[in-house]
Amino acid sequence: MTIGIFQAVLLGIFACLASLPGMGGTTVGNYTLGRPLVGGLIVGIIMGNMQLGIIVGAAIQIVYIALVTPGGTVSADVRAITYIGIPLSMLAIQAQGLDPNSTEAASLAAALGAAVGTLGTVLFYGTATMNLVWQGIGWRAMESGKWSQIKRTIPLVETVLPWISHIIFSFVPTVVICMAGEPMVQLMKEYLPMDGYAMRVLFTVGSLLPAVGVGILCKQVIAKPLDWITFAFGFILAAVMGANLIASAVIAVFFALINFELQSLKSGRRAPVAAGSGTMDDDEEEEDI
Amino acid sequence: MAEINKVSEKARRQSFLHWIYGNLTCFSQEHMQTFGYLWSMMPIVDELYDKDEDKVDALRTYTTFFNTEPQIGTMVVGLTVGLEEARANGEPMDAETINGIRAGLMGPLAGLGDSIIVGTFIPILLGIALGLSTGGNPLGPLFYMVVWNVLMYFGMKYAYDQGYTLGGSAVEALVGPDSAALRSSIVMIGSMVIGSVAATWISISTSFAINFSEKSSFVLQSTLDAILPKFLSFFFVWLCWWLMTKKKVSPTIVMLILVAVAMIGCITIPGLNTSFFNPGLSY
Repeated sequence: MTIGIFQAVLLGIFACLASLPGMGGTTVGNYTLGRPLVGGLIVGIIMGNMQLGIIVGAAIQIVYIALVTPGGTVSADVRAITYIGIPLSMLAIQAQGLDPNSTEAASLAAALGAAVGTLGTVLFYGTATMNLVWQGIGWRAMESGKWSQIKRTIPLVETVLPWISHIIFSFVPTVVICMAGEPMVQLMKEYLPMDGYAMRVLFTVGSLLPAVGVGILCKQVIAKPLDWITFAFGFILAAVMGANLIASAVIAVFFALINFELQSLKSGRRAPVAAGSGTMDDDEEEEDI
Repeated sequence: MAEINKVSEKARRQSFLHWIYGNLTCFSQEHMQTFGYLWSMMPIVDELYDKDEDKVDALRTYTTFFNTEPQIGTMVVGLTVGLEEARANGEPMDAETINGIRAGLMGPLAGLGDSIIVGTFIPILLGIALGLSTGGNPLGPLFYMVVWNVLMYFGMKYAYDQGYTLGGSAVEALVGPDSAALRSSIVMIGSMVIGSVAATWISISTSFAINFSEKSSFVLQSTLDAILPKFLSFFFVWLCWWLMTKKKVSPTIVMLILVAVAMIGCITIPGLNTSFFNPGLSY
Protein backbone atom coordinates (compact mmCIF):
# COMPACT_ATOMS: atom_id res chain seq x y z
CA MET A 1 0.00 0.00 0.00
CA THR A 2 1.36 3.42 -0.95
CA ILE A 3 0.11 6.97 -0.97
CA GLY A 4 0.42 8.59 -4.39
CA ILE A 5 0.27 12.32 -5.07
CA PHE A 6 -3.36 12.10 -6.20
CA GLN A 7 -4.41 10.35 -2.99
CA ALA A 8 -2.38 12.78 -0.87
CA VAL A 9 -4.14 15.72 -2.57
CA LEU A 10 -7.56 14.22 -1.82
CA LEU A 11 -6.57 13.70 1.80
CA GLY A 12 -5.38 17.32 1.89
CA ILE A 13 -8.71 18.64 0.60
CA PHE A 14 -10.64 16.64 3.17
CA ALA A 15 -8.31 17.99 5.87
CA CYS A 16 -9.30 21.55 4.84
CA LEU A 17 -13.01 20.67 5.04
CA ALA A 18 -12.87 18.72 8.28
CA SER A 19 -10.78 20.98 10.50
CA LEU A 20 -12.00 22.94 13.45
CA PRO A 21 -12.46 25.69 12.16
CA GLY A 22 -13.05 24.04 8.79
CA MET A 23 -14.29 24.92 5.36
CA GLY A 24 -17.02 22.29 5.56
CA GLY A 25 -18.75 24.16 8.38
CA THR A 26 -19.19 22.94 11.94
CA THR A 27 -21.89 20.29 11.53
CA VAL A 28 -20.84 18.74 8.23
CA GLY A 29 -17.12 19.53 8.41
CA ASN A 30 -15.91 19.21 11.96
CA TYR A 31 -18.59 16.98 13.46
CA THR A 32 -19.03 14.66 10.47
CA LEU A 33 -15.96 14.58 8.21
CA GLY A 34 -13.66 15.29 11.16
CA ARG A 35 -14.81 12.31 13.25
CA PRO A 36 -12.18 9.55 12.89
CA LEU A 37 -14.87 6.90 12.30
CA VAL A 38 -16.27 8.78 9.29
CA GLY A 39 -12.75 9.74 8.23
CA GLY A 40 -11.82 6.06 8.36
CA LEU A 41 -14.44 5.32 5.70
CA ILE A 42 -13.25 8.23 3.52
CA VAL A 43 -9.52 7.55 3.92
CA GLY A 44 -10.17 3.85 3.37
CA ILE A 45 -11.92 4.56 0.07
CA ILE A 46 -9.16 6.99 -1.02
CA MET A 47 -6.44 4.47 -0.19
CA GLY A 48 -8.27 1.52 -1.67
CA ASN A 49 -8.81 -0.47 1.53
CA MET A 50 -12.11 0.58 3.03
CA GLN A 51 -12.25 -2.20 5.60
CA LEU A 52 -8.86 -1.38 7.11
CA GLY A 53 -9.69 2.34 7.02
CA ILE A 54 -12.86 1.84 9.07
CA ILE A 55 -11.14 -0.46 11.56
CA VAL A 56 -8.35 2.09 12.09
CA GLY A 57 -10.85 4.97 12.25
CA ALA A 58 -12.92 3.12 14.86
CA ALA A 59 -9.84 2.43 17.02
CA ILE A 60 -8.82 6.11 16.97
CA GLN A 61 -12.41 7.25 17.46
CA ILE A 62 -12.50 5.69 20.95
CA VAL A 63 -9.67 7.94 22.09
CA TYR A 64 -11.54 11.01 20.85
CA ILE A 65 -15.11 9.96 21.50
CA ALA A 66 -15.71 13.04 23.62
CA LEU A 67 -13.64 15.68 21.96
CA VAL A 68 -15.21 18.81 23.43
CA THR A 69 -13.56 22.13 22.68
CA PRO A 70 -14.96 24.57 25.26
CA GLY A 71 -14.32 28.18 24.28
CA GLY A 72 -12.10 27.12 21.42
CA THR A 73 -9.40 25.50 23.55
CA VAL A 74 -8.12 22.57 21.60
CA SER A 75 -6.16 19.67 23.04
CA ALA A 76 -6.08 17.66 19.81
CA ASP A 77 -6.58 18.59 16.18
CA VAL A 78 -9.19 16.63 14.20
CA ARG A 79 -7.70 17.21 10.74
CA ALA A 80 -4.37 15.79 11.89
CA ILE A 81 -5.91 12.85 13.76
CA THR A 82 -8.19 11.90 10.90
CA TYR A 83 -6.41 12.76 7.66
CA ILE A 84 -2.80 12.26 8.77
CA GLY A 85 -3.14 9.78 11.65
CA ILE A 86 -5.43 7.30 9.88
CA PRO A 87 -3.38 7.02 6.62
CA LEU A 88 -0.12 6.63 8.59
CA SER A 89 -1.67 4.00 10.86
CA MET A 90 -2.95 2.07 7.86
CA LEU A 91 0.54 2.08 6.33
CA ALA A 92 2.09 1.00 9.63
CA ILE A 93 -0.38 -1.84 10.20
CA GLN A 94 0.26 -3.15 6.69
CA ALA A 95 4.03 -2.75 6.99
CA GLN A 96 4.09 -4.62 10.31
CA GLY A 97 1.89 -7.33 8.86
CA LEU A 98 -0.66 -7.09 11.68
CA ASP A 99 -4.11 -8.61 11.46
CA PRO A 100 -6.44 -5.57 10.98
CA ASN A 101 -9.01 -7.04 13.38
CA SER A 102 -6.51 -7.62 16.19
CA THR A 103 -6.16 -5.62 19.38
CA GLU A 104 -2.55 -4.90 18.37
CA ALA A 105 -3.66 -3.13 15.20
CA ALA A 106 -6.11 -1.03 17.22
CA SER A 107 -3.43 -0.15 19.80
CA LEU A 108 -0.97 0.90 17.12
CA ALA A 109 -3.61 3.10 15.46
CA ALA A 110 -4.64 4.71 18.78
CA ALA A 111 -1.03 5.49 19.74
CA LEU A 112 -0.11 6.92 16.33
CA GLY A 113 -3.37 8.85 16.02
CA ALA A 114 -2.98 10.44 19.45
CA ALA A 115 0.63 11.43 18.83
CA VAL A 116 -0.27 13.06 15.50
CA GLY A 117 -3.36 14.71 17.05
CA THR A 118 -1.42 16.34 19.86
CA LEU A 119 1.29 17.64 17.54
CA GLY A 120 -1.45 18.79 15.16
CA THR A 121 -2.71 21.46 17.58
CA VAL A 122 0.01 23.61 15.98
CA LEU A 123 -2.11 23.53 12.81
CA PHE A 124 -5.17 24.71 14.71
CA TYR A 125 -3.40 27.72 16.17
CA GLY A 126 -1.79 28.46 12.81
CA THR A 127 -5.14 28.53 11.00
CA ALA A 128 -6.89 30.57 13.69
CA THR A 129 -4.05 33.11 13.81
CA MET A 130 -3.89 33.54 10.06
CA ASN A 131 -7.67 34.11 9.96
CA LEU A 132 -7.02 37.33 11.91
CA VAL A 133 -5.64 38.79 8.68
CA TRP A 134 -8.92 38.10 6.82
CA GLN A 135 -10.96 39.38 9.74
CA GLY A 136 -8.87 42.57 9.55
CA ILE A 137 -10.10 43.00 5.98
CA GLY A 138 -13.64 42.48 7.25
CA TRP A 139 -13.24 45.09 9.99
CA ARG A 140 -11.96 47.65 7.52
CA ALA A 141 -15.07 47.11 5.41
CA MET A 142 -17.28 47.54 8.48
CA GLU A 143 -15.49 50.78 9.39
CA SER A 144 -15.81 52.16 5.86
CA GLY A 145 -19.54 52.52 6.49
CA LYS A 146 -20.33 51.70 2.86
CA TRP A 147 -23.00 49.03 2.55
CA SER A 148 -21.91 47.95 -0.93
CA GLN A 149 -18.38 47.31 0.32
CA ILE A 150 -19.61 45.43 3.39
CA LYS A 151 -21.94 43.34 1.27
CA ARG A 152 -19.04 42.37 -0.98
CA THR A 153 -16.40 41.79 1.68
CA ILE A 154 -18.09 39.80 4.46
CA PRO A 155 -18.99 36.78 2.26
CA LEU A 156 -15.38 36.74 1.02
CA VAL A 157 -14.08 36.79 4.59
CA GLU A 158 -16.44 33.95 5.48
CA THR A 159 -16.14 31.60 2.52
CA VAL A 160 -13.11 32.38 0.35
CA LEU A 161 -10.20 33.93 2.22
CA PRO A 162 -9.97 31.27 5.01
CA TRP A 163 -9.11 28.78 2.26
CA ILE A 164 -5.69 30.44 2.11
CA SER A 165 -5.15 29.66 5.80
CA HIS A 166 -6.19 26.09 5.09
CA ILE A 167 -3.93 25.64 2.09
CA ILE A 168 -1.00 26.60 4.30
CA PHE A 169 -1.99 24.87 7.54
CA SER A 170 -4.18 21.94 6.41
CA PHE A 171 -3.50 21.06 2.80
CA VAL A 172 0.29 21.33 2.57
CA PRO A 173 1.10 19.59 5.90
CA THR A 174 -1.29 16.72 5.12
CA VAL A 175 0.10 16.18 1.61
CA VAL A 176 3.75 16.39 2.72
CA ILE A 177 3.40 14.13 5.77
CA CYS A 178 1.29 11.53 3.96
CA MET A 179 3.76 11.39 1.08
CA ALA A 180 6.70 11.05 3.46
CA GLY A 181 4.82 8.53 5.60
CA GLU A 182 5.70 5.37 3.75
CA PRO A 183 9.51 5.57 3.97
CA MET A 184 9.15 6.61 7.62
CA VAL A 185 7.01 3.59 8.40
CA GLN A 186 9.54 1.36 6.63
CA LEU A 187 12.36 2.83 8.72
CA MET A 188 10.34 2.19 11.86
CA LYS A 189 9.94 -1.44 10.85
CA GLU A 190 13.68 -1.85 10.30
CA TYR A 191 14.93 -0.15 13.43
CA LEU A 192 12.25 -1.01 15.97
CA PRO A 193 11.69 -4.75 16.33
CA MET A 194 8.14 -5.72 17.34
CA ASP A 195 9.18 -7.59 20.47
CA GLY A 196 11.58 -4.83 21.57
CA TYR A 197 10.93 -2.54 24.52
CA ALA A 198 10.01 0.54 22.42
CA MET A 199 7.28 -1.27 20.49
CA ARG A 200 5.94 -2.92 23.65
CA VAL A 201 5.58 0.53 25.21
CA LEU A 202 3.96 1.96 22.06
CA PHE A 203 1.35 -0.79 21.93
CA THR A 204 0.68 -0.55 25.66
CA VAL A 205 0.16 3.21 25.36
CA GLY A 206 -2.25 2.52 22.52
CA SER A 207 -4.31 0.21 24.70
CA LEU A 208 -4.35 2.70 27.60
CA LEU A 209 -5.24 5.83 25.59
CA PRO A 210 -8.94 5.10 24.97
CA ALA A 211 -9.40 5.44 28.74
CA VAL A 212 -8.55 9.16 28.41
CA GLY A 213 -11.30 9.69 25.83
CA VAL A 214 -13.88 7.95 27.97
CA GLY A 215 -12.50 9.75 31.04
CA ILE A 216 -13.12 13.14 29.39
CA LEU A 217 -16.67 12.06 28.72
CA CYS A 218 -17.17 10.98 32.32
CA LYS A 219 -16.04 14.45 33.32
CA GLN A 220 -19.01 15.78 31.33
CA VAL A 221 -21.69 13.44 32.65
CA ILE A 222 -20.54 12.39 36.11
CA ALA A 223 -21.20 15.07 38.69
CA LYS A 224 -21.65 13.11 41.92
CA PRO A 225 -20.17 9.79 43.11
CA LEU A 226 -23.51 7.99 42.66
CA ASP A 227 -23.40 8.72 38.93
CA TRP A 228 -20.64 6.12 38.75
CA ILE A 229 -23.34 3.52 39.45
CA THR A 230 -25.09 4.52 36.21
CA PHE A 231 -21.78 4.23 34.37
CA ALA A 232 -21.04 0.88 36.04
CA PHE A 233 -24.49 -0.38 35.05
CA GLY A 234 -23.73 0.30 31.40
CA PHE A 235 -20.23 -1.17 31.81
CA ILE A 236 -21.60 -4.38 33.30
CA LEU A 237 -24.29 -4.69 30.63
CA ALA A 238 -21.51 -4.99 28.07
CA ALA A 239 -18.69 -6.60 30.05
CA VAL A 240 -20.65 -9.20 32.01
CA MET A 241 -23.99 -9.62 30.27
CA GLY A 242 -22.62 -9.32 26.75
CA ALA A 243 -25.04 -6.66 25.53
CA ASN A 244 -23.91 -4.85 22.38
CA LEU A 245 -24.05 -1.07 22.15
CA ILE A 246 -27.45 -0.89 20.50
CA ALA A 247 -28.96 -3.16 23.15
CA SER A 248 -27.37 -1.03 25.90
CA ALA A 249 -28.71 2.14 24.28
CA VAL A 250 -32.24 0.73 24.29
CA ILE A 251 -31.95 -0.35 27.92
CA ALA A 252 -30.54 3.09 28.76
CA VAL A 253 -33.46 4.85 27.07
CA PHE A 254 -35.87 2.68 29.09
CA PHE A 255 -34.30 3.72 32.38
CA ALA A 256 -34.07 7.34 31.23
CA LEU A 257 -37.83 7.30 30.55
CA ILE A 258 -38.49 6.14 34.11
CA ASN A 259 -36.12 8.82 35.37
CA PHE A 260 -37.87 11.46 33.28
CA GLU A 261 -41.28 10.53 34.66
CA LEU A 262 -39.97 10.60 38.22
CA GLN A 263 -38.19 13.90 37.77
CA SER A 264 -41.17 15.64 36.17
CA LEU A 265 -43.42 14.28 38.91
CA LYS A 266 -41.08 15.74 41.50
CA SER A 267 -40.85 19.18 39.90
CA GLY A 268 -44.56 19.18 39.05
CA ARG A 269 -45.37 18.63 42.71
CA ARG A 270 -43.00 21.32 43.85
CA ALA A 271 -44.34 23.96 41.46
CA PRO A 272 -47.82 24.50 42.96
CA VAL A 273 -46.35 24.81 46.46
CA ALA A 274 -43.98 27.50 45.30
CA ALA A 275 -46.75 29.28 43.41
CA GLY A 276 -48.78 30.08 46.50
CA SER A 277 -50.23 28.69 49.70
CA GLY A 278 -53.68 28.36 48.10
CA THR A 279 -52.72 25.17 46.33
CA MET A 280 -51.30 23.58 49.45
CA ASP A 281 -54.62 21.97 50.39
CA ASP A 282 -54.95 20.18 47.09
CA ASP A 283 -51.51 18.81 47.50
CA GLU A 284 -52.20 17.43 50.93
CA GLU A 285 -55.44 15.84 49.87
CA GLU A 286 -53.66 14.00 47.12
CA GLU A 287 -51.15 12.64 49.56
CA ASP A 288 -53.90 11.40 51.87
CA ILE A 289 -55.27 9.28 49.09
CA MET B 1 -46.50 54.16 8.01
CA ALA B 2 -48.34 51.76 10.26
CA GLU B 3 -47.52 48.88 7.96
CA ILE B 4 -45.47 46.23 9.73
CA ASN B 5 -42.21 45.37 8.04
CA LYS B 6 -41.70 41.60 8.24
CA VAL B 7 -38.63 39.62 7.34
CA SER B 8 -39.43 37.39 4.38
CA GLU B 9 -39.19 33.61 4.49
CA LYS B 10 -36.42 33.79 1.87
CA ALA B 11 -34.22 36.16 3.87
CA ARG B 12 -34.63 34.01 6.96
CA ARG B 13 -33.65 30.88 5.06
CA GLN B 14 -30.57 32.62 3.71
CA SER B 15 -29.62 33.88 7.14
CA PHE B 16 -30.10 30.38 8.58
CA LEU B 17 -27.92 28.78 5.90
CA HIS B 18 -25.23 31.42 6.36
CA TRP B 19 -25.13 30.64 10.06
CA ILE B 20 -25.10 26.84 9.94
CA TYR B 21 -22.35 26.86 7.34
CA GLY B 22 -20.35 29.91 8.32
CA ASN B 23 -20.48 30.02 12.12
CA LEU B 24 -16.82 29.03 12.40
CA THR B 25 -15.33 29.20 8.90
CA CYS B 26 -13.41 32.38 9.64
CA PHE B 27 -12.62 31.53 13.25
CA SER B 28 -9.91 33.30 15.20
CA GLN B 29 -9.14 33.13 18.90
CA GLU B 30 -9.90 36.85 19.12
CA HIS B 31 -13.33 37.13 17.49
CA MET B 32 -14.47 33.50 17.32
CA GLN B 33 -17.99 33.39 15.79
CA THR B 34 -18.44 37.13 15.31
CA PHE B 35 -17.99 37.09 11.54
CA GLY B 36 -20.32 34.13 11.12
CA TYR B 37 -22.90 36.18 13.00
CA LEU B 38 -22.38 39.23 10.82
CA TRP B 39 -22.76 37.18 7.67
CA SER B 40 -25.98 35.59 8.86
CA MET B 41 -27.50 38.96 9.82
CA MET B 42 -26.67 40.54 6.45
CA PRO B 43 -29.72 39.29 4.50
CA ILE B 44 -31.93 40.37 7.40
CA VAL B 45 -30.79 43.99 7.71
CA ASP B 46 -30.54 44.25 3.93
CA GLU B 47 -34.24 43.55 3.71
CA LEU B 48 -35.49 45.40 6.80
CA TYR B 49 -33.91 48.78 6.09
CA ASP B 50 -34.13 50.90 2.96
CA LYS B 51 -31.26 53.32 3.44
CA ASP B 52 -27.69 52.06 3.24
CA GLU B 53 -26.55 53.91 6.34
CA ASP B 54 -29.37 52.30 8.36
CA LYS B 55 -28.25 48.89 7.16
CA VAL B 56 -24.67 49.61 8.20
CA ASP B 57 -25.81 50.94 11.57
CA ALA B 58 -27.95 47.89 12.24
CA LEU B 59 -25.22 45.47 11.23
CA ARG B 60 -22.71 47.26 13.51
CA THR B 61 -24.75 45.94 16.46
CA TYR B 62 -23.47 42.46 15.69
CA THR B 63 -19.78 43.32 15.62
CA THR B 64 -19.77 42.60 19.34
CA PHE B 65 -17.91 39.43 20.27
CA PHE B 66 -19.98 36.27 20.01
CA ASN B 67 -19.12 32.68 20.88
CA THR B 68 -21.26 29.76 21.99
CA GLU B 69 -21.87 26.16 21.01
CA PRO B 70 -22.75 27.07 17.41
CA GLN B 71 -25.42 24.41 16.85
CA ILE B 72 -27.60 25.15 19.86
CA GLY B 73 -26.62 28.82 19.39
CA THR B 74 -28.70 28.88 16.19
CA MET B 75 -31.55 29.79 18.52
CA VAL B 76 -29.84 33.07 19.45
CA VAL B 77 -29.49 34.01 15.80
CA GLY B 78 -33.19 33.35 15.21
CA LEU B 79 -33.99 35.35 18.32
CA THR B 80 -32.01 38.39 17.21
CA VAL B 81 -33.74 38.28 13.82
CA GLY B 82 -37.00 38.75 15.73
CA LEU B 83 -35.50 41.57 17.79
CA GLU B 84 -34.06 43.29 14.73
CA GLU B 85 -37.47 43.11 13.08
CA ALA B 86 -39.01 44.76 16.13
CA ARG B 87 -36.36 47.47 16.05
CA ALA B 88 -36.95 48.15 12.35
CA ASN B 89 -40.63 48.64 13.11
CA GLY B 90 -39.83 51.35 15.60
CA GLU B 91 -40.28 49.37 18.78
CA PRO B 92 -38.10 50.45 21.73
CA MET B 93 -35.21 48.12 21.08
CA ASP B 94 -31.64 49.37 20.99
CA ALA B 95 -28.25 47.84 20.26
CA GLU B 96 -27.44 47.60 23.98
CA THR B 97 -30.56 45.52 24.66
CA ILE B 98 -29.85 43.18 21.74
CA ASN B 99 -26.26 42.70 22.79
CA GLY B 100 -27.25 42.27 26.41
CA ILE B 101 -29.52 39.41 25.42
CA ARG B 102 -26.86 37.86 23.18
CA ALA B 103 -24.18 38.09 25.85
CA GLY B 104 -26.53 36.74 28.50
CA LEU B 105 -27.44 33.70 26.43
CA MET B 106 -24.16 32.64 24.89
CA GLY B 107 -22.62 31.46 28.16
CA PRO B 108 -25.44 29.20 29.38
CA LEU B 109 -26.09 27.87 25.88
CA ALA B 110 -22.41 27.07 25.39
CA GLY B 111 -22.43 25.03 28.60
CA LEU B 112 -25.66 23.29 27.64
CA GLY B 113 -24.56 22.59 24.06
CA ASP B 114 -21.11 21.34 25.03
CA SER B 115 -22.50 18.92 27.59
CA ILE B 116 -25.68 17.74 25.85
CA ILE B 117 -24.84 17.84 22.13
CA VAL B 118 -21.08 17.40 22.02
CA GLY B 119 -20.55 15.60 25.32
CA THR B 120 -23.54 13.25 25.32
CA PHE B 121 -25.45 13.09 22.05
CA ILE B 122 -22.46 12.70 19.70
CA PRO B 123 -20.82 10.01 21.88
CA ILE B 124 -24.10 8.03 21.99
CA LEU B 125 -24.41 8.18 18.20
CA LEU B 126 -20.74 7.33 17.77
CA GLY B 127 -21.06 4.50 20.29
CA ILE B 128 -23.86 2.94 18.28
CA ALA B 129 -21.98 3.59 15.03
CA LEU B 130 -18.88 1.92 16.47
CA GLY B 131 -20.96 -1.12 17.33
CA LEU B 132 -22.18 -1.28 13.74
CA SER B 133 -18.70 -0.94 12.24
CA THR B 134 -17.18 -4.08 13.76
CA GLY B 135 -14.80 -5.72 11.34
CA GLY B 136 -14.70 -2.66 9.09
CA ASN B 137 -18.40 -2.55 8.22
CA PRO B 138 -19.23 0.77 6.44
CA LEU B 139 -22.73 0.69 7.94
CA GLY B 140 -21.32 2.29 11.13
CA PRO B 141 -19.87 5.49 9.62
CA LEU B 142 -22.81 5.78 7.21
CA PHE B 143 -25.28 5.50 10.08
CA TYR B 144 -23.52 8.33 11.93
CA MET B 145 -23.25 10.56 8.84
CA VAL B 146 -26.94 10.28 7.99
CA VAL B 147 -28.49 10.35 11.46
CA TRP B 148 -26.30 13.17 12.78
CA ASN B 149 -26.72 15.48 9.80
CA VAL B 150 -30.45 14.95 9.36
CA LEU B 151 -31.17 15.44 13.07
CA MET B 152 -28.89 18.45 13.26
CA TYR B 153 -30.29 20.16 10.18
CA PHE B 154 -33.88 19.89 11.33
CA GLY B 155 -32.94 20.53 14.95
CA MET B 156 -31.17 23.76 14.05
CA LYS B 157 -33.98 24.82 11.72
CA TYR B 158 -36.43 24.28 14.56
CA ALA B 159 -34.22 26.21 17.00
CA TYR B 160 -33.90 29.11 14.56
CA ASP B 161 -37.64 29.31 13.91
CA GLN B 162 -38.47 28.96 17.59
CA GLY B 163 -36.01 31.72 18.40
CA TYR B 164 -37.59 33.94 15.79
CA THR B 165 -41.23 33.39 16.71
CA LEU B 166 -41.09 32.93 20.45
CA GLY B 167 -38.31 35.35 21.30
CA GLY B 168 -36.71 35.16 24.72
CA SER B 169 -39.15 32.61 26.10
CA ALA B 170 -37.86 29.95 23.68
CA VAL B 171 -34.40 30.09 25.12
CA GLU B 172 -35.80 30.35 28.62
CA ALA B 173 -37.47 26.96 28.11
CA LEU B 174 -34.16 25.46 27.16
CA VAL B 175 -32.09 26.71 30.09
CA GLY B 176 -34.91 27.11 32.62
CA PRO B 177 -35.72 24.74 35.51
CA ASP B 178 -38.44 22.89 33.57
CA SER B 179 -35.82 21.34 31.34
CA ALA B 180 -33.92 19.80 34.28
CA ALA B 181 -35.81 16.49 34.06
CA LEU B 182 -35.08 16.14 30.36
CA ARG B 183 -31.44 17.02 30.77
CA SER B 184 -30.87 14.60 33.62
CA SER B 185 -32.47 11.82 31.56
CA ILE B 186 -30.30 12.53 28.52
CA VAL B 187 -27.20 12.58 30.71
CA MET B 188 -28.32 9.27 32.20
CA ILE B 189 -28.50 7.64 28.74
CA GLY B 190 -25.07 9.10 28.04
CA SER B 191 -23.47 7.68 31.20
CA MET B 192 -24.87 4.21 30.56
CA VAL B 193 -23.95 4.01 26.89
CA ILE B 194 -20.48 5.30 27.62
CA GLY B 195 -20.13 2.62 30.30
CA SER B 196 -20.90 0.06 27.61
CA VAL B 197 -18.50 1.77 25.19
CA ALA B 198 -15.77 1.53 27.80
CA ALA B 199 -16.39 -2.18 28.34
CA THR B 200 -16.67 -2.95 24.63
CA TRP B 201 -13.81 -0.94 23.19
CA ILE B 202 -11.16 -0.59 25.87
CA SER B 203 -9.12 -3.70 26.39
CA ILE B 204 -6.41 -3.30 28.98
CA SER B 205 -4.94 -6.46 30.36
CA THR B 206 -1.90 -7.28 32.44
CA SER B 207 0.66 -9.95 31.73
CA PHE B 208 1.89 -10.10 35.32
CA ALA B 209 2.38 -13.71 36.39
CA ILE B 210 4.63 -15.56 38.80
CA ASN B 211 5.41 -19.24 38.52
CA PHE B 212 6.05 -20.73 41.97
CA SER B 213 6.62 -24.21 40.75
CA GLU B 214 5.68 -26.43 37.84
CA LYS B 215 2.11 -26.70 39.07
CA SER B 216 1.27 -23.51 40.94
CA SER B 217 1.38 -20.02 39.59
CA PHE B 218 -0.19 -16.64 40.24
CA VAL B 219 -1.77 -14.95 37.23
CA LEU B 220 -2.87 -11.40 38.09
CA GLN B 221 -5.30 -11.12 35.18
CA SER B 222 -7.39 -14.13 36.30
CA THR B 223 -7.59 -12.72 39.82
CA LEU B 224 -8.80 -9.37 38.45
CA ASP B 225 -11.33 -11.11 36.19
CA ALA B 226 -12.74 -12.81 39.26
CA ILE B 227 -13.37 -9.40 40.84
CA LEU B 228 -14.95 -7.82 37.76
CA PRO B 229 -14.39 -8.70 34.13
CA LYS B 230 -12.40 -5.95 32.41
CA PHE B 231 -11.54 -4.48 35.80
CA LEU B 232 -8.45 -2.70 34.46
CA SER B 233 -10.44 -0.90 31.75
CA PHE B 234 -12.81 0.42 34.41
CA PHE B 235 -9.94 1.36 36.69
CA PHE B 236 -8.07 3.37 34.04
CA VAL B 237 -11.21 5.26 33.00
CA TRP B 238 -11.79 6.15 36.64
CA LEU B 239 -8.13 7.14 37.04
CA CYS B 240 -8.26 9.48 34.02
CA TRP B 241 -11.51 11.01 35.29
CA TRP B 242 -10.04 11.46 38.76
CA LEU B 243 -6.88 13.10 37.44
CA MET B 244 -8.87 15.48 35.23
CA THR B 245 -11.66 16.46 37.64
CA LYS B 246 -10.13 16.16 41.09
CA LYS B 247 -6.53 17.02 40.26
CA LYS B 248 -7.33 19.42 37.37
CA VAL B 249 -4.78 17.74 35.10
CA SER B 250 -5.16 18.56 31.39
CA PRO B 251 -5.96 15.71 28.93
CA THR B 252 -2.56 16.07 27.29
CA ILE B 253 -0.76 15.63 30.62
CA VAL B 254 -2.98 12.62 31.42
CA MET B 255 -1.85 11.08 28.13
CA LEU B 256 1.77 11.68 29.10
CA ILE B 257 1.14 10.08 32.50
CA LEU B 258 -0.21 7.00 30.70
CA VAL B 259 2.92 6.93 28.53
CA ALA B 260 4.97 6.90 31.74
CA VAL B 261 2.76 4.13 33.17
CA ALA B 262 3.33 2.10 30.01
CA MET B 263 7.09 2.68 30.12
CA ILE B 264 7.34 1.52 33.72
CA GLY B 265 4.86 -1.30 33.23
CA CYS B 266 6.77 -2.75 30.31
CA ILE B 267 10.02 -3.11 32.24
CA THR B 268 10.73 -6.76 32.94
CA ILE B 269 10.99 -7.22 36.69
CA PRO B 270 14.41 -8.79 37.44
CA GLY B 271 14.24 -12.18 39.15
CA LEU B 272 10.55 -12.74 38.40
CA ASN B 273 10.95 -12.57 34.63
CA THR B 274 7.57 -10.88 34.19
CA SER B 275 6.20 -7.40 33.47
CA PHE B 276 2.87 -5.71 34.02
CA PHE B 277 2.28 -5.02 30.36
CA ASN B 278 3.38 -7.14 27.44
CA PRO B 279 1.38 -7.10 24.22
CA GLY B 280 3.21 -10.30 23.27
CA LEU B 281 4.09 -9.29 19.74
CA SER B 282 6.57 -10.73 17.34
CA TYR B 283 7.04 -10.88 13.60
